[in-house]
Amino acid sequence: MLERACHLPGLDPDALDWHRLSFARGDTGPDIAVPVLGPGDIDRLAAHVRDNAAARLRAMPVARIVEAIDAVIVRLLDRQDPYRRKMEQMLPAVTGYDPEMVRLGLTRYLMTFRKPELLRFLAEDFPNPAILDGFQPLPKGGYGKAFGPPLLAHIWAGNVPGLPLWSMVCGLLVKSGTIGKVSSAEPLFAGWFAQVLAEVAPDLAECLAVVWWQGGESAPEQAMLGAADLTLAYGSNTSLAAIAGRMPPGKRLLRFGHKVSFAMIAAVALDPAKVADTARRAARDIARYDQQGCFAPHVVFVERGGRLCPRSFARYLARALDAFGHRFPARALTMAETASFAAWCQQEEFTHDAEVMGDAHGGWTVSFHNAGQGFGPSCLNRSVKVVAVDDLANVPGLVAPFRALLQTVGIAASPDELFRLAGLLGDAGVTRIAALGDMTTPEAGWHHDGRCNLSDLVQITEIDARAPPAADKLAFYDD
Amino acid sequence: MDFAGKTVLITGAGRGIGAAIAKGFATEGASVAVNYLQDATSASATVDACTVAGGTALAMQADVTDAGDAARLVAATQDAFGKIDVLVHNAFAPYVFSPEKRALFWETDWAAFQAQIDGSVKAAHGMARAVLPDMLARAEGCIINIATNLVERPVVPYHDYTTAKSALVGFSRNLAVELGPLGIRVNLVCPGLVYPTAASRAVKEDLKDALIAQTPLRRIATPADVAGPVLFLASPWAGFMTGQTLYVDGGFVMR
Repeated sequence: MLERACHLPGLDPDALDWHRLSFARGDTGPDIAVPVLGPGDIDRLAAHVRDNAAARLRAMPVARIVEAIDAVIVRLLDRQDPYRRKMEQMLPAVTGYDPEMVRLGLTRYLMTFRKPELLRFLAEDFPNPAILDGFQPLPKGGYGKAFGPPLLAHIWAGNVPGLPLWSMVCGLLVKSGTIGKVSSAEPLFAGWFAQVLAEVAPDLAECLAVVWWQGGESAPEQAMLGAADLTLAYGSNTSLAAIAGRMPPGKRLLRFGHKVSFAMIAAVALDPAKVADTARRAARDIARYDQQGCFAPHVVFVERGGRLCPRSFARYLARALDAFGHRFPARALTMAETASFAAWCQQEEFTHDAEVMGDAHGGWTVSFHNAGQGFGPSCLNRSVKVVAVDDLANVPGLVAPFRALLQTVGIAASPDELFRLAGLLGDAGVTRIAALGDMTTPEAGWHHDGRCNLSDLVQITEIDARAPPAADKLAFYDD
Repeated sequence: MDFAGKTVLITGAGRGIGAAIAKGFATEGASVAVNYLQDATSASATVDACTVAGGTALAMQADVTDAGDAARLVAATQDAFGKIDVLVHNAFAPYVFSPEKRALFWETDWAAFQAQIDGSVKAAHGMARAVLPDMLARAEGCIINIATNLVERPVVPYHDYTTAKSALVGFSRNLAVELGPLGIRVNLVCPGLVYPTAASRAVKEDLKDALIAQTPLRRIATPADVAGPVLFLASPWAGFMTGQTLYVDGGFVMR
């Protein structure tokens, strides 16, 4: 059956041309169509969501928005729900990821958007979330109210299924009309979210449009960037730089570029009782979504001096990746990915003198560096460098030159060491420290790339502390 | 290992473990009778996979808990392929493995036990009786019954299922003693939790993780993992083994 992606409130879908996308990873790819939209269509959608947001969303209490999002999430967590079934069936076919990995990943991810998590998400940025509904007293005196941009645009990446949910939810919580462009690599999730929203809260779904155009097409993009007050863009640093170059003057752009994450394992985590679990947790971080998310580690720094040496750890890690691959097989690589995998392995072995361990089918690779040859991206798809170091405290110095790229660090260490390393790493530019094994599942409301998710989007309008007393002088009850 | 010229009859081979065993034998050149109860589509897919793998295969519907149906299945296999060298009894009565939803002992009436015993031992009895005349006439043959590692270590007490499989172990050992002098070997393969199969789909991640943590090879079995030991027991390499139980569970059970 043909699946039409996107969500186009105010447009007649049958009056549009639809473009078939092909996903020929398996024998029979899913049949997916995306709308062909010109700049005029984007203008109409932008006006529709902006007007509807102004008329409906901006007056809605944020608590009601939270309830509506929660209702959508409950639907998507229900494995019998028709949209959830479509997700489990089509997302693996579209992305190539193992169906079980997608199924479990969806549940784990969606759970972080239930009502209690959304309330935490709000509280993280707004000590009093009622500031989104009306003027609230400010600690310094006076009153303030937070206004999201009337129209918020999103340009999403498609490396991991469901990624657009973060920013869509942010847009709804700050009461912005939202128009988001999906990636050709995963064009489905955002539209499904909007369609379920249309069933549980039709008012809200009129304030949200999900669109598509072929990457590189400039006319619809110009229309969207021109219409929006603020744009959030996710993707490679090259494509983000290109978008920045095309921003109309006076418009804001928030960029979320590609990041590199890594793991650090202290000697205390390498005794015979702990090593297998330490390796299993590292393997989980490496293998989830085949390392395509920015949270996944490229390098594991392992401290010398434990009961087991870093080389032994690398071997445990290799076996753990192999076991993970039986349970959740890696996706089939494209020709280009296979070539880059082979080239990376060769470079590791011959240029860096690393000990390369891998399976015959290219399902995973561990490259062990005994002499601390440093830091750099792996070629993804479950490939990782294991680098032996004398002291984990030296690692922040090794990664500091890559400051702009650093994001998550998974740490297996004692509490004192955890905080000591976190201080050094934060200073080097790292924005998130996680337990090993939890790297790819950030908490609700985490500061994405060190930023404030919601308060970055809003403008605070203040009523000066002296304004209400001055207004009293003009009141009908003034004596 | 070469099974060219050999005929293998596998009960419950439409999907899951049985289908993986069928593909394993077909890859080594065997002719495979793919028995199924209800799901003709899956059985047909298994036949296709066997053909692609280089063997010959036919899908054959039969309810093996019925002795008459079992005899009809054996006769049809012999008609199609001339003889039966290996019987793999993998079918069992429908069962859903779910630690949360399983029946507690005081909720399990005898009918539930009986259904599992019928699916396990009664079916093994009917199938063995049906293949025996031809195997005895040729003074060779091999029977492999599929049980479970729960018989040794019931981590979740699936009373009816595991009791029936335990009976199958006893049944097979007696049969091995009886038939050994006549040139027929009888062995067992006991897999641990195999995922994914239709029966194990309801098993939650927490249990899988707990089992994995206690499994030396640090994962749970896939259907394909079970095929290798079955092929080994069916091969001449296991020619001096009978009445044995191979545990295929990554080392979870050791004995």
